[in-house]
Amino acid sequence: MVAAYLLLAPAILLLVTVLAYPVGWEAWISLTDLSPLNDRGATFVGLQNYLRFATDAAFWQAAVVTVGFAALTTLAKLVLGIAFALLLARPFRGRALVFLAVFLPWAYPASVSVMGWYWTLSPPIPTAYAPFMGHLKVSVDHAVGTGAWSFLAVTLFNVWRGSSFIGVLLLAGINAVPPELFECALLDCRSAWRRFWLVTVPLLRPFLALAVFLSLTTAFADLANVWLLTAGRVVFPVIGTQAYWLAIKAGQFGAASALSLMLVPFLLGVLLLLFKVFDPPDEARA
Amino acid sequence: MAQVLMKDLNKKYDEVHAVKDVNLHIRDKEFVVLVGPSGCGKSTTLRMVAGLEEITAGEIAIGDRVVNDLPPKDRDIAMVFQNYALYPHMTVYDNMAFGLKMRKFAKAEIQKRVGEAAEILGIHDLLKRKPRQLSGGQRQRVAVGRAIVRHPQVFLFDEPLSNLDAKLRVQMRVELKRLHERLETTAIYVTHDQVEAMTLGDRVVVMKDGWIQQVGEPLELYTKPTNRFVAGFIGSPAMNFVDVAIQGSDGSLSAQGTGIRLAIPPANAARLGPYKGQRVTLGIRPEDLHIAAGADQAPYVFDAVVDVVEPLGSEILLDVKAGPNSLVARVEPTVRLKVHDGVRLAVNPERLHFFDSTNEKAI
Repeated sequence: MVAAYLLLAPAILLLVTVLAYPVGWEAWISLTDLSPLNDRGATFVGLQNYLRFATDAAFWQAAVVTVGFAALTTLAKLVLGIAFALLLARPFRGRALVFLAVFLPWAYPASVSVMGWYWTLSPPIPTAYAPFMGHLKVSVDHAVGTGAWSFLAVTLFNVWRGSSFIGVLLLAGINAVPPELFECALLDCRSAWRRFWLVTVPLLRPFLALAVFLSLTTAFADLANVWLLTAGRVVFPVIGTQAYWLAIKAGQFGAASALSLMLVPFLLGVLLLLFKVFDPPDEARA
Repeated sequence: MAQVLMKDLNKKYDEVHAVKDVNLHIRDKEFVVLVGPSGCGKSTTLRMVAGLEEITAGEIAIGDRVVNDLPPKDRDIAMVFQNYALYPHMTVYDNMAFGLKMRKFAKAEIQKRVGEAAEILGIHDLLKRKPRQLSGGQRQRVAVGRAIVRHPQVFLFDEPLSNLDAKLRVQMRVELKRLHERLETTAIYVTHDQVEAMTLGDRVVVMKDGWIQQVGEPLELYTKPTNRFVAGFIGSPAMNFVDVAIQGSDGSLSAQGTGIRLAIPPANAARLGPYKGQRVTLGIRPEDLHIAAGADQAPYVFDAVVDVVEPLGSEILLDVKAGPNSLVARVEPTVRLKVHDGVRLAVNPERLHFFDSTNEKAI
């Protein structure tokens, strides 16, 4: 009995130090007015940090943008990811090269590729296409609203990188399905479209659930890429940048903690829902 | 119901010539088994009939239609796969109904057909379950049921029993045979198991390296194999082969091997005459060897030493050594012999096989 707990101790210690302690501390801060700007230390303020967001227009804007961003990128990544996976699932000449091309966006270090995108979309002044991109940015912002160009940039980058990952994930999913299942469908159904919906999609359901969830979490937690692609000028705030602003720029640790913690129950709910829909638990085996 | 015709059928992959000039006429209502070691082209041939593999050259006709360019769905075949290939997300009923739904059958008709098939296979109680909740044997029944409901012109079976344990395999084999007698649908069945081939097939096609070696009724393959490969592949334990030289004058030929010398029966003498002075391969089935008794003529008897004794209950398999040659003899369970005992064995002279040493064809 004692030995069992001793054996578990390293894992428990690790979880406590890297997960339970920081999250617990953040939860505590979210109930205080801790800030580097006041000298008296933290005072307990109850749920005030949470409640203030209900009437905060900036929060609601950030929330709407975040949800829109997450939904849009997830949809785009799923469609592209499935297309990549289906393309790569069957052998053809040069498949290795295509696989490399598909996988590269994900394999390449984000910090480097994000700069590449930034310079492409907001080129440095001396480059030949800088005036053209400048015009494009202005006209997009003018037509859709300020921040549209930034939104587009962040969305493009997220989809570019994420569809690569989802493509490879779903390819692994397709490869895990016995090929006879697809052949069997071929014997009964000629239309590739129907086979896709009746056989391929249901067989890939657990992988799709995982893909959607990972896509949503990266979209919700996307702070670094938004920050880098907009050079810190967050003309449209998402929850991540909003929390960063509150904590680092405004020094409101309590409010920032409350804001980021609010994502946890939301994402947890999404996770449960996704797995209920996409990957229902099977009834007991025979 | 239909016949299946394969004419000069060939399949080439980049490097591999998997099926070579296969010509086969499968008659209406016939149960034909393709058998051979792995890589012999049997599955590829079946998959070409199904339309899952493209035909490199040649022609396949089902009924009176050439199907080379027909998609699988329009060939009017139903296939049973080795790993069952049941859709895990559908119930047994939906699995069985899938092909009919895709062909836009009326709901009542689908219900009727699935009901009938479930009745035949005894899986009525399982219709609402998912494949995961079934045992291997039940899954196999469902896979067969899914083929039956289609009322196809031809059933294609790709090693359907290979994933079952030995006991269940024997049981399902009998059921498949019974089913074929009841449905009378043309069937092509692929297996690497020669016992399955012999018990199920009206005719058996033995393949090796992409070539058809022999086509015939099971007993014909057993008694008159056309070459050494078929002789060794059909029958268990496998036929014994001994390298011998043909000697003597016409009328009294003998086969002389190291440590074994047998007279050649008059029935074989004429065909073996031209081989005088040459080496050939002598084939003796284990069941055509017995412990020599007084009635056995001396020219058909040889001495050997027991190497291994395998008592199987109903019989004993004796692994013996005659000179450098290892042979297996199937003897009565009452025989009492130990390892290293000397034993005098007699052959059944009417059942000796001879094969040309160079082209391995039966002489």
